Formats: sequence, structure tokens, C-alpha cells
Amino acid sequence: MGFCIKHIVRTAAFLFLTIVCLLPAKVSAEESLLRMGIPEEPRTLNVWMASDANSRKVLSLIYQPLYTRDPETLRITPWLAQSMPDYDPETVSYTVKLRAAKWADGSRVTAEDVVFTVNLIQEFQVPKYHSKWEPVKRVVAVDLQTVKFYLKEPIATFVSRTLNNYIAPKKEWAPVAEKARDQEKPLKFLMNTRIEHPLGCGPFVLEKWEEGNYLYLTRNPHFFGRNQEINQRKLGPYIDAMLFKVYGTADVAIMALKKGSIDFLWSAIQPGYLENLKKNENTRVFINQKSALYYMGFNVRKPPFSDADLRRAVNILIDKDFIVERILQGYATRMDSIVPAENQFWYAADVPKYGQGMSRTERIKKAYHLLRQNGYSWERPPVDAAGKVVNPSGICLPGGAPMQKLTILTPPADYDPNRATCGVMVQEWLTALGIPVSARPMSFGALLQKVKREHDFDAFILGYGRLSLDPDYLRSFFHSENKNPGGWNMSGYTNPEFDRLSEKSVETMNDDKRQELIHQMQMIVMRDVPYIPLYKPAAIEAVSRDGFSGWEQMVGGIGNIWSICQVKPAPH
Amino acid sequence: MHFRQLILRRSLEILVIFFVILTGLFLLFHLAPGDPVSRMVDPSMTPEDADILISQLGLDQPVWLQYLYYVKNFFSGNFGTSFHYGRPVVSVIWERLPNTIVLFTTSVILSAMAGVFWGKIVAWYKGRPIDTWVTILSLVCHTLFLPWIALLFIWIFGYGVGWFPLNGMITPELWMNPKTGFFIKAVDILHHMLLPLFTLFIIHVGAYLLIMRSSMLETLSEDYILTARAKGLNEKQVRNRHAAPNAALPVVTSVGLSLAFSINGGALTETVFSWPGIGRELIFAVSNNDYPLALASFLFISIVVLVANLVVDILYAYLDPRIRY
Repeated sequence: MGFCIKHIVRTAAFLFLTIVCLLPAKVSAEESLLRMGIPEEPRTLNVWMASDANSRKVLSLIYQPLYTRDPETLRITPWLAQSMPDYDPETVSYTVKLRAAKWADGSRVTAEDVVFTVNLIQEFQVPKYHSKWEPVKRVVAVDLQTVKFYLKEPIATFVSRTLNNYIAPKKEWAPVAEKARDQEKPLKFLMNTRIEHPLGCGPFVLEKWEEGNYLYLTRNPHFFGRNQEINQRKLGPYIDAMLFKVYGTADVAIMALKKGSIDFLWSAIQPGYLENLKKNENTRVFINQKSALYYMGFNVRKPPFSDADLRRAVNILIDKDFIVERILQGYATRMDSIVPAENQFWYAADVPKYGQGMSRTERIKKAYHLLRQNGYSWERPPVDAAGKVVNPSGICLPGGAPMQKLTILTPPADYDPNRATCGVMVQEWLTALGIPVSARPMSFGALLQKVKREHDFDAFILGYGRLSLDPDYLRSFFHSENKNPGGWNMSGYTNPEFDRLSEKSVETMNDDKRQELIHQMQMIVMRDVPYIPLYKPAAIEAVSRDGFSGWEQMVGGIGNIWSICQVKPAPH
Repeated sequence: MHFRQLILRRSLEILVIFFVILTGLFLLFHLAPGDPVSRMVDPSMTPEDADILISQLGLDQPVWLQYLYYVKNFFSGNFGTSFHYGRPVVSVIWERLPNTIVLFTTSVILSAMAGVFWGKIVAWYKGRPIDTWVTILSLVCHTLFLPWIALLFIWIFGYGVGWFPLNGMITPELWMNPKTGFFIKAVDILHHMLLPLFTLFIIHVGAYLLIMRSSMLETLSEDYILTARAKGLNEKQVRNRHAAPNAALPVVTSVGLSLAFSINGGALTETVFSWPGIGRELIFAVSNNDYPLALASFLFISIVVLVANLVVDILYAYLDPRIRY
């Protein structure tokens, strides 16, 4: 027996030593290879098909839009376009002049490519982009570098919502479109076409994709921004190549970062890892604001949440500061409007801030008085005759009918522990007023099905991790025409005044006037509270300290095109 | 019953079982709440565009019609196109299958061999301290929580000591270098494989050892062992030649089924080690409602398990004629 065990141990040791001896001691990659960690491998690099976050990250380095956001002011700024578009109110058209840009193969980016992209999306009704380009009636290449978009009607979000989408090269997609037209399902053919080497005009080109293992991108020598100064930033890229490695769990990805196996973890980091990362001398942490919205929504189609007073009372009872400080460990911001406060231009600072700065007792008392004034009654009220808060029971609606048991749907804790915990806390706060409610975590798909398609719910907690900077989503969320099954007005909120203002906001081309309308819309929504905005988590990211410098911080984090065009190997 | 009849009957049974699995899986995925589109859309996408997407994915038809199409396509070798990859699921599975097989098959075989070896030893020394300690250790190994132990090993041997890579199957920096030869690449894969292999070995070896131990104890009380001893054979011969081969039979059955199941590649192991196998794809497919990929993966596993069962049945019938009656 002894012999056999010895034999096995000896063989294992020999095998291990052989491996250690054969492999290079340290794999020294090129000096300026930026190694990125991502949580999942991209699923596809077909720009019309890609719907997962990691595919989008890689594609954002290859395909480019006409306009993007300035990292500091967040204002729309020309990118592939040379200047801001000229708007002609008479013909309802926008004229865009392109930069002298080239595709990665050296051929010119022309107005024809832009025309082709728009026509392709409209012809095939590419789902992800169709609604964005829908306002365009006709698009014309005026000359090689000028393109003119004729719109069906004036629309304020055209530049921010439409012209920030990718432009694809005609030479890459025209043959695919040609073949697709002969198919029984042309769109399916277009979306399922495998693109091994996407042709873009961005800072990088895909060199190699070893599926299941890594993606290797090299610098695009023809990138239009190279050595150019755009928005007071001298762009590179200053690195030769990028390597994307996949880390299945956050724990291992953090270890890789601390060990120096990757230079940047392009993924949101949970606050729980933060202290550990901050202590580590090899890593540097970035905390930025996010354009996001995590909220509690009500089903206003049916009692009891059809009553705005009850919704207001719930808003008073919810302790947002507790959520931010305790559940999210301080790495979040409380929200009082649907538009995040950091989106300064559009945010209405004077929206009512329900329950802000109140103690638990004060909240219960205020909510109790509000409901009592509006006809609610209790067998045993939450505030007794002496003004002391007690355990209530038997809450009845204004008509005298007892309030039925209610449910708050939340995503499960393994999907998002923060939202699941919020559900439990809200349940506790509402119970203090005698509202018979329970939080029910359910799978994300099932939750969306119930809330968005079947409308079979009382309340829910959901969120948007990436909210566009243009507040046109207010219209999507609360306009009554979107309240049908599948529509984004999941609450079923109807307010003719809001509808009118939101329609007007789309047509208003003057930013200041539109700002006024957006403010009014926020005031209406926060008065009627179909949604209670809860919090907005911070974007926590980390890089290796010795690796690269020059990261551009902006709303959403450092994982942005400006960073990629500016990072340089850190001087040693 | 004739041997050929038995094979025919078992094959038919398996075909029926397969149909039940196929239908069950289809219904499970399609009737479960949630749809694959809900995760692909953002607030700017109108319900009409979402409907176009649903129609492209073929999900706008009634479930029974989708089922009929699915069965028809299945028998014509078309398992469908992944909703997220946009390419045939078969190609995704074939791409990932070798990675899973190489890791899990090796781990099952190694742990079974070690389990048989140590199982027979501890059974032989029943009641002695080595038996007690190895049995306790095996139970501990058998009940370890895999993701926890995997992370612990990565932390100790990958992050701390630095003997092994943290994740994946290859070192990209090495593979990107055109000068790297085939041999070095093979050694690199082996280097990446050692830690997951060691983890899986620790998890599996306990079970095989315990099966072998109890089977060996039973065998040792048989008359023919007594006969062997009476013949004057030495203890080593009795243990290794007479008792162990007979006692190993249940382990062989268990290994056969484990090998079949190993193609689903412990989803958790593959996730923690970022091993690009089928298990990780399964998790992605199920959590993102990629029905074609999830269905095809599960069906593939079912087919392998059913065929393995059939082979084991036939082998048993061949080895033990009583089973045929």
C-alpha cells in the first residue's frame, strides 16, 4: 500500500514539475496590452443580433455612432460626425457632415454607409434599432461626406436617441442583405449571419476570437480619432491591443485583478468587495454615478393602489436613506424623481421629497393622518389616542371594505440581493401602518411576465441599470398609450395632462422649453406616484494600479469609449 | 426470452422514455413563466418591435404547433438556432463538448481508480484506525460543497501560492504568441486542468471509496474467499485477485452512469473555474430563456444517459443470464 501511495505522489509531483518547467515562468505580453476581465463571453458580434452586455462592450469599440456624450458635460457631442447637425424646420430635416473617417480596411466612411444603415434597419425592421430610426422619412447622401435626414415630423430626441446609434459599412452588410431578401425570413437571416471579423471604424479591430477562451483586439490604424483633439481630449488609442478574458465568478475576477492577471474588470463590482479592494495596494477603485433607476411600481388599474393617497402614504413610509445606507452600504444615492439628480439639466429639483429626514415614528404618524383624512379606517389604528405608535390591525378602505392581502413582487436574492431585501423592508414598513402586504421574490422572467404582459400584480420592485440620459423614458413609462400588455407603462397610469405634456415634449425642439415640460412631467408623476423612485447604485469599478492610467470617469463608470481612447501604460 | 428480443424491448422502452423526456422538457421550458424577449429589450423598444422579435424567434405560434415543429425538426437533425448566439445550437454544443469531456471524464476515471484502490485497502483493514479515518475523510469529501471548495482551492493554490492559473482553459497571452508550439499549448491546457481536476477528484473519490469499501466487505464474507484462503493463497492474492475484481462491479456501474452524466459538466465547476464547457452554456441558456440551446443540451444529456443505461443493461444481461428471465 505504502508503495502505491508513494508511487502516485511521485507521479503527481513529476507531472507538476514538468509542467512548471515547460511553461514560461512569466508570460510577458506586449507592453501596452490592456487586459480586461468580463463576466461572460460575448455571444455574437453581429451588431443587429447582439443583445447581451458583453457583446455590446466589444462592439462599442468597433462600430461607432455619429454622436456621443461628452464625458464631463454629458451633452451630445459630434463623434463620427464632424459637427452638430443643422436643423431645418421648414423641411424638417437634419444635415450631418461626417469626419474624414476610414473603415478598418482603409476604405472611406461615406454618407452612403449612413444611408445604407438607416435603410437596412427600416427595411428589415431590425427590432433593437427600428423604433429609433422610425422617425426618419427619407435619408439622402448629399455628397460623399454629407447626409440629410428628412423626418416625418419634428422630434426633439432625434439627435440624442437616434443619431447615437452605430453606423455599419455598406460593403460588409450589402451582400448579406442581398441574400437575406431571398429568404423566407429575411430578418432572421440577417440577425443570424455570423460575423467573424466585424468591420468598423472604431479604435480597435477584432484580431482573434478563440471561442470559449478570449478575444484579442488590436489598434485600428485608421481610427478617425487617432491623434485628434476631440472635446479637449487628445485621443489615441495609446495601447496596442486589448485582451478580453472571461471570469465566471466575481470572486475569481477580483483575485485576478489583485494578482495583476487583468488590468481592468469591466463589470460592476458589488459594494461587499470594496473594502478588500481598497486595502489592496495593487488595485485602484473608481466610484462613479450611474444613470439608473431602481423603483417600486404600483398597479394603479385596481384597488387599493388605484388610490393616489395610499401610494403617497407608502412613499412616506419607505425609508430611502435606510435603503441607501444599510442595504447598499452607502454606495448609492436616494432618488426622489424618476430622472436621476445627476442628470442636472433634466432633473426637477423641486419634486416633493416624501418622508425625507423623518424618523420612523414621524413617518407612521404622517402616513396615518394622510390616510385617515382620506377615509381609511382601522380596527386598531397605528397611532393611539395618546399619539403613541402601536401595532395596528384591521385596516379598511374608504368605503369600509377591509383591505385584502397585497403582494410586492421582487427579483430573487440570487439575481439581485438589494432589490429582494428592499422588498422585505418595504413589507415591514407598510405592516407598521397595518397594510397587509408581503414581499414575494420570483424569477426575473416570471416577474416581467406578470407585471408587463399579464398585469397580474399589486406592486413590484424593478430597476433599470442603464437609463438613457435623455428623459424621453418618462413618456415610455407613463403615457397612457403604453399601458397595454407588453407596453412600458406597466403601472397602467393614465393622466391626460401628463399625456399632453409628454407629447408636447417630443415635438419641442428648444431645449429650454423642453426642459420646462420635462420638469412639469416629473412634478405630475411625483404627485401621483405610480412609481416610487428608491435608489440608484453607484458604479463601482476597479483597475490594477500599476497597469494603465488616463481613465476617463463619467456617469456610468470608466468603461467608456473615452477611456479606451486615452488610457496609457502607467510609467514605471 | 431471447437475447435479441431483450435488446429490442429495452430499445423500444428507451425510445418511449426519450419521447416523454422530450415532451416534458419542451413543456417545462415553454410553459414556464417569462419569455426570452423580455431580457433583450430596453425601454426604447416598442411593443411592436418586441413582437417582431418574438415572431422571428418563432414564439408567436401556439405551443402545440411549436412542439410539432420541434419534433419534426429534431428528427431531421435540426435542433434549432440559439436565440443569443444566432447560430445552430448543435455547433455551440459540439464546440463546448470536448472541453467538458476532457475534464470530467478524466476526473471520473481517476477518482474511480483511486476509490477502488483505497476502498479495497480500508475494507481489508476494517475496524483499524486507517479504516475509521479514511471513511470519515471520504464522507467529508463526499459532502463538501463544490463551489466553496473550488473557490478555496483557487484562493490557496491559484491566488496565494500561485502554482495554478486562476481560471479558464488556456493562457491567452501564450496562445496569442505565434511562436508557441503545439506541445507547449498542450502542457498549458494540462496546467489549467490540474486544479479543477483536483477539485473534482476530491469531491468524487469519497463516494467511489465508500461504494468499494461496502462492496468489498460483502465480498470478503463470501465462501469463495474462504476457499481461496484454504487453498493457501497469500493475503495479497486473496485481496487483489479474488475479492477486489468482484467487489469492483458496483463501482463500474456507477462509473458508467457518471461518465454519461459527466457531459453536462458540473455547471457550477465550470462556472467557478470559467471552464468553457457545456455546463456553463446550460446555466446561461436556462437563465436567459434560450430555449433551443437549453433544450438541445438537456436532450443531448438524456440521449447519452439513456444509451449508457441501455449498454449497462445489455452488459448485465450478457454477464448474468438470470436477468433475461
